[in-house]
Amino acid sequence: MMNRFRKRKRYFDVKQHFFIVLFLCFSMGAFGQKLKVNGIITDATTGSPLPGVSIIVKSSNQGTTTGFDGKYQIQVNQGDVLLFSFVGYQKTERTVKSTIIDINLTSENQKLNEVVVIGYGSLKVKDVTGSVALVTPKDFNKGNIVTPENLLAGRVAGLSITTGGDPGSGSTIRIRGGASLGASNDPLIVINGLPVDNNAIGGSRSILSSINPSDIESFSVLKDASATAIYGSRASNGVIIITLKKGTKTLSANIDMNMGVNTLASKMDVFNADELRNLISVQNPSLLPLLGKANTDWQKEIYRNSISSNLNASVNGMLFNKIPSRASFGRTLQEGLMLTAGFERTTGSVSLNPTLFDNHLKVSVNANVSLEKNRFAKGVQGTAITFDPTQPVYDANSPFGGYFQYYKDNHDGVLNKSDLTERAPLNPVADLMQTNSRSEVKRIYGNVKLDYKFHFLPDLSAVLNLGMDKSSADGYTRVSDKNPLSQADGRIVGSSSEYSNELSNNLLDGYLAYKKQFGILNLDATAGYSYQKFTNERYNTNELLDDGVDSAPVTSIDPNLVLVGFFGRANLSFYDKYLFTASYRRDGTSRFSEENRWGNFPAAAFSWKIKDDFFPESKTLSNLKLRLSWGVTGQQDIGQTNLDLYMSRYNTGLPTSQYIFGNTVTNIAIPQFRNENLKWEETTTYNAAFDFGFFNDRLTTTVEGFYKESKDLLANAAISDGSNFSNSGFQNIGDFTSKGIEFTVNGDIIRNQKGFNWNANFNTTFIKTQIKSLALDQDQLVGGTGAGAGDGSTVQIHRVGYTPYSFYVYKQIYDGNGKPIEGAYADLNGDNIINESDLYIHHNGMPTVTMGFASNMNYKNIDFSFNMRASLGNYVYNGANATRAQYNLLKNSSVVSNLPTSVLDTNFKSNEAVLLSDYYIENASFLKMDNVTLGYTFENTFNANSSIRLSAGVQNVFTITNYSGLDPEVFSNGIDNSITPRPRTYLIGANMKF
Amino acid sequence: MKNIIKHKAIYLLGSVLVLVGCTNDLNVEVQDPNTLLVDEFYSTPESYKQGLAGVYGNLTLTGASGPASSNISGLDPGTSQYGRGLWDMQELTTDEVKWSWENDPGLKGLNNDTWTADNVVIRGFFGRCMTEVAFANEYLRQTSDAKLNSRGVSTELRGEIKTYRAEVRFLRALAYYHLMDLFGKAGFVTENDPVGAYQSPQYGRPELFAFIESELNAIIPDLKNARQNEYARADKAAAWMLLAKIYLNAEVFIGQKKYDQCLANCKNIIDAGYSLSPIYANNFNADNNSNSAKNEIIFPVVSDGVVTQNYGPTTVMINAQVGSLEQNGASFGVAGWAGGLRVTKQFSETMLNGTYDKDDRNTIISKDRTIELTDINNYGTGYITAKWSNKTSTGANGSATEMVDTDFPMFRLADVYLMYAEAILRGATGGSLTTARDYFNLLRARANNAKRILTSDLNLDLILNERMVELYGEAHRRQDLIRFGKFTGGVYNWSWKGNVVSGIAISDTYKLFPIPKASIAANPNLTQNTGY
Repeated sequence: MMNRFRKRKRYFDVKQHFFIVLFLCFSMGAFGQKLKVNGIITDATTGSPLPGVSIIVKSSNQGTTTGFDGKYQIQVNQGDVLLFSFVGYQKTERTVKSTIIDINLTSENQKLNEVVVIGYGSLKVKDVTGSVALVTPKDFNKGNIVTPENLLAGRVAGLSITTGGDPGSGSTIRIRGGASLGASNDPLIVINGLPVDNNAIGGSRSILSSINPSDIESFSVLKDASATAIYGSRASNGVIIITLKKGTKTLSANIDMNMGVNTLASKMDVFNADELRNLISVQNPSLLPLLGKANTDWQKEIYRNSISSNLNASVNGMLFNKIPSRASFGRTLQEGLMLTAGFERTTGSVSLNPTLFDNHLKVSVNANVSLEKNRFAKGVQGTAITFDPTQPVYDANSPFGGYFQYYKDNHDGVLNKSDLTERAPLNPVADLMQTNSRSEVKRIYGNVKLDYKFHFLPDLSAVLNLGMDKSSADGYTRVSDKNPLSQADGRIVGSSSEYSNELSNNLLDGYLAYKKQFGILNLDATAGYSYQKFTNERYNTNELLDDGVDSAPVTSIDPNLVLVGFFGRANLSFYDKYLFTASYRRDGTSRFSEENRWGNFPAAAFSWKIKDDFFPESKTLSNLKLRLSWGVTGQQDIGQTNLDLYMSRYNTGLPTSQYIFGNTVTNIAIPQFRNENLKWEETTTYNAAFDFGFFNDRLTTTVEGFYKESKDLLANAAISDGSNFSNSGFQNIGDFTSKGIEFTVNGDIIRNQKGFNWNANFNTTFIKTQIKSLALDQDQLVGGTGAGAGDGSTVQIHRVGYTPYSFYVYKQIYDGNGKPIEGAYADLNGDNIINESDLYIHHNGMPTVTMGFASNMNYKNIDFSFNMRASLGNYVYNGANATRAQYNLLKNSSVVSNLPTSVLDTNFKSNEAVLLSDYYIENASFLKMDNVTLGYTFENTFNANSSIRLSAGVQNVFTITNYSGLDPEVFSNGIDNSITPRPRTYLIGANMKF
Repeated sequence: MKNIIKHKAIYLLGSVLVLVGCTNDLNVEVQDPNTLLVDEFYSTPESYKQGLAGVYGNLTLTGASGPASSNISGLDPGTSQYGRGLWDMQELTTDEVKWSWENDPGLKGLNNDTWTADNVVIRGFFGRCMTEVAFANEYLRQTSDAKLNSRGVSTELRGEIKTYRAEVRFLRALAYYHLMDLFGKAGFVTENDPVGAYQSPQYGRPELFAFIESELNAIIPDLKNARQNEYARADKAAAWMLLAKIYLNAEVFIGQKKYDQCLANCKNIIDAGYSLSPIYANNFNADNNSNSAKNEIIFPVVSDGVVTQNYGPTTVMINAQVGSLEQNGASFGVAGWAGGLRVTKQFSETMLNGTYDKDDRNTIISKDRTIELTDINNYGTGYITAKWSNKTSTGANGSATEMVDTDFPMFRLADVYLMYAEAILRGATGGSLTTARDYFNLLRARANNAKRILTSDLNLDLILNERMVELYGEAHRRQDLIRFGKFTGGVYNWSWKGNVVSGIAISDTYKLFPIPKASIAANPNLTQNTGY
C-alpha cells in the first residue's frame, strides 16, 4: 500500500515527501487521547481526495496525514485547533467541535507564496513590486559547479555570467549590461545582508571563489531601481543577494559528492610540424635551417585531462534540543586543464537560528571559514600557439632541466642571459613545470542578526545585523634556476617573490520594521541605517634573488573606504490588489569630499493585481499583475586605487623612480591628480512588467521592459591641460542609456499521473545600450588588441550615439575572388590618405539577444535535465588571428614561429598592415549546452527518510557557432586573445540523504 | 502609549549618537607609505629638494611607481615620456629615422607625416609638457613667501629655495619652448591659477616668445653660474642656451630676425668654459654623466638603469637601434628590441657620400641591407646605426640590460658651435666667420674627420648637413628642417614623407602639430591649427 501511495504522488517535491513520512512517525505517539476525529480532505475545485495532507494539533507536536483516499483519523481534546496543510494549498484551521471534520482545501499558487529576500527585509513573491528574480535550489544549474554564480548562469533574464576556463575561475557578472563606462559594472553582491567587496584579494581566483555553492539557499537578483535603490550608492549595476542555508529543527543529513574528468574541448587551429615545414619551404625557405626534427603539438603538451571532485556534507537539527542548527563541510579539488593549474577549497559553515523570549527574539548566527589554495599556471596559451612545432619538448643535452630551449652556449663558463638566443620564446612546457606559483587564501565571513519583536508592540521589530568578512592571502612565485628566466643583470638563478594581502569588511546595519494591517490597508515599513568599512593592505617582496633597488619590497595601504547610509521603505497594499512601494536612501562615501559625499536615492513602484479586478473567476488565467517602477541609484566604485582623489596628495617615488642631482640620488615627490568636485554617478531606471500565470500557475510568464539613464558618469577623461597634475582624470561627465526587454516563461509542461513530469524554463533578453554623451564629446579609444610590445594599439571606441566598446576598424577591400587584399582599405573620408580618419564603427561585442533554457524531466525515479544558453548578434575581434596569422611572423627574431592556419585564407604577410582590418571582426553568435545530467534515485535505502541519488553528466557539452576562434564566449567586451579553454567535464555523482 | 514614546525617544537618541560617530568616519586618512598630503609632505626641510626633483623628474619619469607607471593618459606609459615624445615628433617625422612597429598607436602617422589631431603620441606630449607647467606652478605655489613663512622655513634653506624656484621657472620656460616650437600655441597657466579644471587662455607664439624671453632674463641672476650647479641641474648656461634657441628660430616663431641675440647667448655659453669631449661617442655612453662629455653637455636629462628607470629617448634608441639581422645588442650593453629603428635612404647617402664616410659620427651598419626602407615591416630594409650605447666609455656594461644609464644630452656645446656659425651666416653681428669656421672644424677634428673647411666653404646647406651628422637622434631635426625651409613642400623629399616610399611633397600644415582634439575639448579657449 505504501508503494502505491508513493507512486501516485510522485509529482510532489521529494523533500516534502520525506517530511510527510517523518511526520507519520511522529504521529504514532499521538494516539490514545480522548476524542477521535476523522474526515476526508478534498480539493476544493475538483473534489478529488487529497492524500498526504498534514494535520497537526496546534501548539503540540501531534499530527497525522491523510491516506491515499484522503481520509484521516486523529485523537484530540475537545477545543483543540487542527491545522490542515498541504503543499500548494492554502492552510486551513478548524477548532475541534465534532468528531467528523471534512475539509475542502483551496489550492494556491505555490510560487507566489515563496518568500524572496530583498534589501533589509523580505517579501512574498506575489507582493513584489520591483524587478526581482528569486532562484532557489530547484532552479539551480546542475553539474560541476565550483563557484556560486554558476548556479545562476542562464537562469535569469537580464543576468549574464561569463566564466573563465581556469579552475575556480571568476566570472564577469552583468545585470542588464551594467550602467557605467568608467566606473565598475559589477553588481553589488550581498551575502546574508553583508555587501561584499568587489575587489578580489590578491592570490584568490575571485570574490566568490571562496564560497561553497552548496551552502546557498537562494539568490535574489534585484534588477530595477525600485528593488535596488535601498542599496543607494552601490546599486546601479543591480544587486545579487545570496542567502545561506539556515539551521532547521528537523534532523537530517546530506552528503553530496561528485567526480569529473576535464578534457580539452577544442584547440586553436595552427600548423602541425609537417605542414609548417611545407609552408616555410614555400613562404620563406631561408628559415628552413632553423627548423628542428620533432613533431610537437604544443597545445596538446600544455593541456591535460584532469580530475575534479567535490564533497559536501551537511547536518541539520536541534542543537541542545533548543537551537535549530546547520553545519556543513565542503571540499573541492579542481585540477586545471593546463599543466600545474589547481584549485583546492575547504569550507566549513555553521548556522544557528534560535528563537528566544517566546519567539520575540530571533537570532541567526552564521559563520563560515574557507581555505582556498591555488596553484596558478603561467599564461603560456599564446606561446603554445606560436612555438615552433618542429622542436621537441625535451632535449637531453639541454642545461635547462632537460627541456628544449633556444640557447647558444658561449663557453664562458657561466650560464647567463648571454647564452640565450636573443628574444627567443621560452619552452611553454618548461615554463609551466619550472614555475611554482601558489597562494593560500583564508577567509572568514558571517553575520549575527538579531530580530527583536517588541513585547509591548509586536508589530514593530528592531533588527541589528553585524557582518564581517576578513580575508588574508599569502602567495609566492618561484621559478627554478633551471629555467632560462634571467635577472635584470643577466644572471640565471631562477626567481622568487612573495606577496600578501589583507582585506577586511565590517558592517553594522540597524533598522526598525513595522508591519500592520489597518482594514483594507496593509503597511510594511522599514527604516534604518547602515555603516560599512573596508580596508585593504598589500605587501610584495618583489624579486628576492636580486638585492638591487628594483626589487625593494613595496607595501601599499589604501585609505579606508567608509560608506554610511540612512534608508527607509514603505510597502502599502490596498485590498491586497494595489501595491505601492516607496524607498529612500541617503548615502555618504569617504571617496568624495565633504561637500559632495552625500547622495540621495529615491525609488517608487506601483503594482496592480489586475486579475483580481477583471478576471477574478477565470480558471485559465491564474495571475495577471502589472508592475511599474522608477528609481535613482548611484555608483561610486572607480577602483581600489582611486579612494582619495579629492585630497591634495603627493606621491614619493619608488626606488626605481628617483632623480639624480650630481651624484646624489634624490627621491622625487610629485603632486597627484585631484578633483574636489567628484560626486556620485546617478542612474535613473524605469521598469514596466506584466506577470502572467495560467492554469493555476503551471505556466508563468513575465514580460518586462526597462530603460536606464546614467548621468554624471564617472569617467577618466581629458582635463584642461596644465590645470591639473595629469592630462586626464576622473570627472563626472557623460550620459549613457540602455534599454531592454526581458521575457521569461516557466512551465510545468507535463504533470502526469503516471509519474512523468517535465518542467522547462526559458528566458530571453534584448538589450541595447547607447552612449548619449561622452566627456567633452570626445571619442575614447579602448580595447587593446594585445599586439606588439604592449604599446597599446586599440580596436574599440566609445562614441556618442553608439554602443560602448564598438569595434573601430578599417574597411577591408577584397579582390575579385573574395580574398582580402592586404593593407587595402576603403578611403572612407575620401582624402586619398588612409589614416585614423578612415576607421569606422563596425559591430560590437554585446549580444542583441541572449537566451537561457533549462529543462528538468523525471519519470518515476529517473531524472534528466539539461540547460542551454544562446547569444545572438555578438561580434568578436579574433585577436588570436589578427595578431598572429601573418607570414612575416614565421620569423620571430632568430627563431621560427607557428601561425594560426587562418593565414591560408588571407595570405596576409604583415601584421602591421592588417591588425585593424574589419576582416577580423567575426559574428560570434552561439548556442551552448552547458550541462546535461541523468540521475536515478533509490529510496528508503537505510530507513524511510533516506535516499541515494546517483547521477552522471557532462559539463560544457557542445557549442554551435560560426566563430572561427577557440570559443565565441570571450571576455574583454568582445576581444579574443587566447583565453584558457573551458574544459569539457564528464561527471559522476552521488547524493545521500538521511 | 507613553511608554512607547519614551522608548522611541531613547532609541532616537541612541541612534543619533551612533550615527554621528559613523559619519565622522567618512573623513578617512591617507595611509600608504608613498603618499602624503601636501602639508604633511612640505613639513620637512628635505621636501623642497624632493619637490624640485619631482619637477626635473617629469622630464624623464612618467610616474612615481616605476617605468610602467604614468600620470599621463591616452597612451602607453613608456611612450608618454617627455624626451620620448619630443624625440618621436622631432625625429620620426624627418629624414633621419623611422620606427618599425607601426602598430604602436600614433607612430605610423609620425613616420609618414600623415598625423591627425587624434594622434596619441601628440596628445601625450602636449599633456606631458603642460603637466610640467603644472608641476612647476605647484612648486612655485608651495614655495611662496607666505607658505614658507607659515611653515617657518629657515633663512638658510630659503636661500637655496630661491635658486630652486629659478630652476623650476627655467623648466616651465623649457616646456613652453617645446610647445611653442611644436604646436605654436598652448594654454597659459601660472602659479596664480587654481588647480582643478581651469580653462587657461591661449597664448600664441608671440606671447609665448615674450614670456619665455622675459622669464629667462628674470631668473638668470638667481641661477647658479655656468658649470657651478650640481650635474643635471639648470644653471645660467642652460638659460642662455634656451634664449639662443628661441632667437635662432625667431624668424619661424615670430617672423623677426634675432640672430644678434642668438650669437650673444652662444658666446656667453662658449665663454663659460665648456669644452668638446675629445671622443664624440662619450656623449652617448652610459657614463656620459661622468666621462669627458660632462664638459660638453650643458643640460642633460638623467637616465639610470636602476634608480631612474624610463622608456625615454636613450632607452629607446639604444634598444631599438639593435638590428634584427645583426642581433648586436650585446655590443651596446642591452638585450635590445631588435629591428625597431632604421634610417632613411637620404640620411644614409649623406653619411656615406665621401665627406663623412670616414668620420666617427658615421655609425651606419649596412651589411646585407638595402639602402632604401622599401618595406617598413621588413626590418632588413634600410640601414641601421650604432650611435648610442649603454656601455661606458671604458667598455663596461651599464647597470641593467634594458633600462639604460645613458643620459639624454638635451643641450650640448657642439650644438652651440653650429648655432654660432649659422647665426653668423644668417647675418648676426658680434662674431666672425673665421671663428665660425674654427668651431665647425673643431667638430670635424673631434670626429677624426680629415676634411676641414675654409671660410669660403661655409654655407647654410653645409650647416644643415653638419647638424644632421653631428646631432642625429638628439631631437633637433624637425626644427632644423623647418628653419631651413625644407620640411614641408616638395623642395626636399625623403623616404616615406607623405606615405610614399620615395617621398612626396606635404602641406605646410605639417609645420605645426595639431592641438590634440581632447585638449581642445577640455579647454575650448584653445583653437586648432590651420589645416587640421
